[in-house]
Amino acid sequence: MKSDQRVQEVRDEVTSRFPGVNPETAADSVPTFRVSPPDILGVLRYLKEQAYPGYPMLYDLTAIDERYRGSPRDFTVVYHLFSFELAQLIRLKVPLEGEFPHIPSAVPVWPAANWYEREVYDLFGIVFDGHPNLRRIIMPMTWKGHPLRKDHPARATELADYELPEARLEEELDSYTFNPEEWGMERESEDSDFMFLNMGPNHPGTHGLFRIVLQLDGEEILDAVPEIGYHHRGIEKMAERQTWHSFIPYASRTDYLGGVVNDLAYVLAVEKLAGIDVPDRAAVMRVMLAEMFRISSHLVWYGTFAQDLGALSPIFLMFGDREAVLDIIQAITGARMHPGWLRLGGTAMDLPNGWEPMVRDFLKDFRKHLVQYDKMVMRNRILKARTRGIGAYDAHTAIEWGVTGPGLRAAGYSWDFRKNMPYSGYENFEFDVPVGQNGDCYDRGLVRIEELVQSARIIEQCLNNMPAGPYKSDHPLATPPRKERTMKDIETLINHFVGVTWGPVMPAGEAMVPMEATKGSNAYYVVSDGGNSSYRTRIRAPSFPHLQLLPIMSRGTFISDMIAIIGSIDFVMGDVDR
Amino acid sequence: MPGPNNFPVDVWTIPVYFGIAFLLTAAIIVISSVLGEKGKRRNEQRPYESGINATGSARLRFNAQFYVVAMIFLVFDVETVFVVTWAVGGKRLGWAGYFEIALFIILLLATLLYVARIGALDWRRRKVETGRQK
Amino acid sequence: MSDSRFTLTRGGLPVRELRKSFALTKLSDLIAWGRKYSVWPFNFGLSCCYVEFATALTSKFDMARFGSEVLRGSPREADLLVVAGTVFIKVAPIILRLYQQMMEPKWVISMGSCANSGGMFDIYSVVQGVDRFLPVDVYVPGCPPRPDAFLQGLTMLQESIGKERRPLSWVVGPQGVEKPAAISNRDRLAAERRRATVLRSPDEI
Repeated sequence: MKSDQRVQEVRDEVTSRFPGVNPETAADSVPTFRVSPPDILGVLRYLKEQAYPGYPMLYDLTAIDERYRGSPRDFTVVYHLFSFELAQLIRLKVPLEGEFPHIPSAVPVWPAANWYEREVYDLFGIVFDGHPNLRRIIMPMTWKGHPLRKDHPARATELADYELPEARLEEELDSYTFNPEEWGMERESEDSDFMFLNMGPNHPGTHGLFRIVLQLDGEEILDAVPEIGYHHRGIEKMAERQTWHSFIPYASRTDYLGGVVNDLAYVLAVEKLAGIDVPDRAAVMRVMLAEMFRISSHLVWYGTFAQDLGALSPIFLMFGDREAVLDIIQAITGARMHPGWLRLGGTAMDLPNGWEPMVRDFLKDFRKHLVQYDKMVMRNRILKARTRGIGAYDAHTAIEWGVTGPGLRAAGYSWDFRKNMPYSGYENFEFDVPVGQNGDCYDRGLVRIEELVQSARIIEQCLNNMPAGPYKSDHPLATPPRKERTMKDIETLINHFVGVTWGPVMPAGEAMVPMEATKGSNAYYVVSDGGNSSYRTRIRAPSFPHLQLLPIMSRGTFISDMIAIIGSIDFVMGDVDR
Repeated sequence: MPGPNNFPVDVWTIPVYFGIAFLLTAAIIVISSVLGEKGKRRNEQRPYESGINATGSARLRFNAQFYVVAMIFLVFDVETVFVVTWAVGGKRLGWAGYFEIALFIILLLATLLYVARIGALDWRRRKVETGRQK
Repeated sequence: MSDSRFTLTRGGLPVRELRKSFALTKLSDLIAWGRKYSVWPFNFGLSCCYVEFATALTSKFDMARFGSEVLRGSPREADLLVVAGTVFIKVAPIILRLYQQMMEPKWVISMGSCANSGGMFDIYSVVQGVDRFLPVDVYVPGCPPRPDAFLQGLTMLQESIGKERRPLSWVVGPQGVEKPAAISNRDRLAAERRRATVLRSPDEI
């Protein structure tokens, strides 16, 4: 196969150029290399700039605490790079020794590495030499310790009871005060003073617990410093304590508007690790639910985008449509927002009787409504004036900063993981990928609205072509195993019991399957030691790199433009902070 | 009702009107300051900035553009005063008065167009060195 | 329907109920009636539950029927703090400060499992329940609670506000807030729920 040959070529090129680099094999057939710390910047630069075709996007940067694994090294920093032409990830692992090891920072190669490295420093204590401003990003500044290290307690109940007396309140609030000098910002120019305005965690325009500090000269934004971490739920640490199966509800709550889409990202990675093939009916059910959640999430985006820009009525209509989708989702999965409906190997249960008329009714009205919304919102002259040309970036900048999803497509680069690296049967569906031109707020909006139409098209195809068959695989690691024979056969009963309580034992290895979530590209990097829970689960969330780009998009605009830009990025804080 | 020197005799209505307005306002303020409960004093007093302490004070050297816009507004505001004054006696002033006020308005309209053309109403978009290195 | 038992407390100790004049009681009732049908929430949301709270404002669930459609952006103008979502350690001091910045009278609804008790997130960065540092009036369980469940919580709060006695003036009159005893819906509805014998199968919609 062409890609296997290409993988081998990449392997050969890298090993010949950098003798200190050792290739490894991974369960997801991603070329993996072990690189020593002095070589890493050279390898990164080579892969980005000189290799042909190169790996232009830094897809993810994370670390693993190896000390509890019986491994010779203490920490590993893992880089994932992505190549569009090869449609392939490449993984570089850098082993580190020591209690708080040092490694050269990748910021000179990719500016997008900034926040990733700050996160690794915050959660692991690994120091990146040469990073412009290495400080905590996720945990509060007053936090002691690095949470994702294996010796840090996981549970809140293992720590002291939380109390907030007056003195502690004042101390914590003081630590949030923004200090321009720490960021190298000037406080004044020769004509006027700059105002540092806090668009704090509690603000209707920031869509969640997100804080931006704006450096203002009058109404004009000179610079913006985003601050995240207010929504950190420690989902990655939670994965180390949950079984492979019981982690699924936590995955749902990462991107809380995405529901099944997050589950799908997780389940695809674990199924890749275990080698489970999902039956056709289950794959199509997953696609249908994923597209419904995409519609639900984009409708929330659509309504709040219009509302931010002043149109207060459309949101009621869009949420009305969303209720229709949520009714279908509730009928099928039992819950509105966090269904927890996917299982390793398929889905929790089959579709209920009577689902087809519900979906058909919804699709019949949906397209008409979209036309109406278009007239109300996107053709509105005020909205156009507020979004055209605002927050624009080109495709090169987007790729440099790790932007994926509608944000990348609006800049003119056509890449959709459902089309270019299909999973769960998407290769059998007919749909178009909308691409914008200018990469401004308006185009991002247009791309998402067209995605709504395409999602409706995919759902219609699912409706007309739902295959018959089992809803879960027969693979021994599919959890929980199908129950039909448990009452007749002691082996099946034992298997079922163990699978539900102790959980499946996944083979050792690592896997990552990038997929197209509602906000961009989501991927779960799961590392297994052959146990019943993961050793490390890393969630590559799409909204994290999108927010890093915010200062660049908003310099020189007004506060009202900042609102439009934030609305058009469509991020969810659960996704950013996990 | 006009008296001997064409001076309106029922001028007492004006101080009564002011008196009522003053008393009403005072009553509202006094009664609402006495009604209701008082919460914890300390954090209540701080200005709301999404729950975070403000950086720097609100007494800054503001951008000069605010001043320019305010001045231009003031000029046109005073114009409005004159136009309204004319409108009160408009009918009695006849066509002569109408042409005078029309001339006045046209001159100020021309000024407005000039001001808009030179960009005095646009917010200045200039490249200012933020000094940010991080 | 339910008996209104009052416990007048000052500093947590019960005090003999003061005899108030008929007119003043009726005035208090009138004010409480006015307060309960215009509870204005603060525009405050944390995570997933906030989306369900916002959905409660939209047409299908329509919080406006209960007088609460006015979301205020500033805590000074708001009556109700709906803690919708997980209470993170990083945001807890901010929540407390915003609560202190709200004007009396103010109430707190804890919406969702995470706000009630930390929910499924027994993790280092989550406070196990907002009642660790805020007094809560109504707890709405769910993950996330349906918008109708939240509206049920809101109506329970409104009933409770209607029975409250608050001081008319901080200068004169009895001080201290008299709140009615908390009601558990689980206990109240237990008998009716136990009578349900027909459960719908998940194979039908």
